Amino acid sequence: MKKLISLALALVLSLSLIACGAKQDDTPQTGADTPDTTQTAEKQKLIVGFDAEFPPFGFIAADGSYDGFDLAMAEELCSRLGWDFEAVPIVWDSKDAELAAGTINCIWNGFTYTGRENDYTWSDPYVDNSIVMVVKADSGISALADLAGKSVMAQAASSAVDAINANESLKSSLKEVVELADYNTGFMELKQGSVDAIAADLGVAKFQIASNEGDYVILDEPISTEQYAIGFLKGNTELRDAVNAELLKMAEDGTMLSIAEKYVDQGLVIDSLCLVK
Amino acid sequence: MTVSAMLTLLVQGFGKSLEIFTLTLLGSLPLGLLVMFGRRSRVAPLRWLVKLFISVMRGTPLMLQLMVVYYGPFLLFDFTPPGNWRFGAVIVGFVINYAAYFAEIYRAGYESIPVGQFEAAQVLGYTGAQSFGRILLPQMIRRVLPPVTNEVITLVKDTSLASVIGTVEMFTRAKQIVASPNTPGMLALAAAGLFYYVFNYIVAFAMERAERSLAYYQ
Repeated sequence: MKKLISLALALVLSLSLIACGAKQDDTPQTGADTPDTTQTAEKQKLIVGFDAEFPPFGFIAADGSYDGFDLAMAEELCSRLGWDFEAVPIVWDSKDAELAAGTINCIWNGFTYTGRENDYTWSDPYVDNSIVMVVKADSGISALADLAGKSVMAQAASSAVDAINANESLKSSLKEVVELADYNTGFMELKQGSVDAIAADLGVAKFQIASNEGDYVILDEPISTEQYAIGFLKGNTELRDAVNAELLKMAEDGTMLSIAEKYVDQGLVIDSLCLVK
Repeated sequence: MTVSAMLTLLVQGFGKSLEIFTLTLLGSLPLGLLVMFGRRSRVAPLRWLVKLFISVMRGTPLMLQLMVVYYGPFLLFDFTPPGNWRFGAVIVGFVINYAAYFAEIYRAGYESIPVGQFEAAQVLGYTGAQSFGRILLPQMIRRVLPPVTNEVITLVKDTSLASVIGTVEMFTRAKQIVASPNTPGMLALAAAGLFYYVFNYIVAFAMERAERSLAYYQ
């Protein structure tokens, strides 16, 4: 897949290069081509890629700063290690390209480990979550089997889509899986009846239910269970090892729990934190 | 999040949209003129290359072009452009895309001017550059203003495409606000829509005034 994307990019780029070649002088200045050598000399920097539309793990606060459980954890971890910390809101579909390009060096944002074990270098999983189905309280749907012939919404390129695809009998019973860019749009559609159910992570589902008291229910039967971990570019074990060691210490000494408690109101499920004992 | 906090964040996002808008126009309006000359060049290979450039720029989605400009250097050459490339790539992508459209609009205006105007200038002793700058260009500008207004208004709305490579302009900001805890529903998106509309209304108004001030023959 990555090779295919590179190939496609190469094709388009070489086309535009050919096209641009004719008017070298008038293409805008893209900066001098001196390699950036200052980076290695500086202290270690953790550049966390995250989805700013994914509370409670990453979202925008009223003062315009980025907030969320995972970002607070990352910032605390960096201050303990004496590292620089930067949070970069990314387009979720582009996470692999961002990681490969080095514009971020980890994905720490309710990032699903299950099913992607071999695609990234991973920290230990710190959240055990499930993918659940959310339906309207008055829909009469009470089990996954009741969803036969119904439309289900899931976030495009998310683990909820993967979970549905992995569940053959569920998938074949559905009328369709509607993939939308974000869950707010999904809940709008559920409200107006253009989809019958939403497949989402438990944390996201609980958050949406809490802000729409009594309108929606979560089906008891999960579509799948899954774990969250911090993802690094495949092969970047050096950074992973340093982050993971500190993460375990933060779980051990109670820092993780005290940070987590600040995000309970936004739907973080303390019970899902599997490193906290 | 209160409504005033929401509006503050939106205004910040609008500032970024405005930055993209201004820099794109500053780059693409003059670049379009150069592309037009290339497109009309007597040197056939140059003409073909510029035609290919225009064809690719118009024939592929701007969203894809932004991704190519942003990720291309990393993925193909393992090269990291210095500075804030996330924003730099947005400007480069927008400028070359809009220059292609402007070039064709300019060409339409240029070629609509009767050849007699040029010949008359030559007879009066103007050099080629003088004929263009003093006789043809002013007439061309007058004719291309309405279609340029179209493009400028489209550009205001197109700035939202910058979100595809993670540049947080007004539309992305509005989506983030909607997704943040305790916000007043989809209000931020409605407010963003109003911002776009009001700004475009001002653009259209200003361009209409410009048209009127150039209509010196009527």
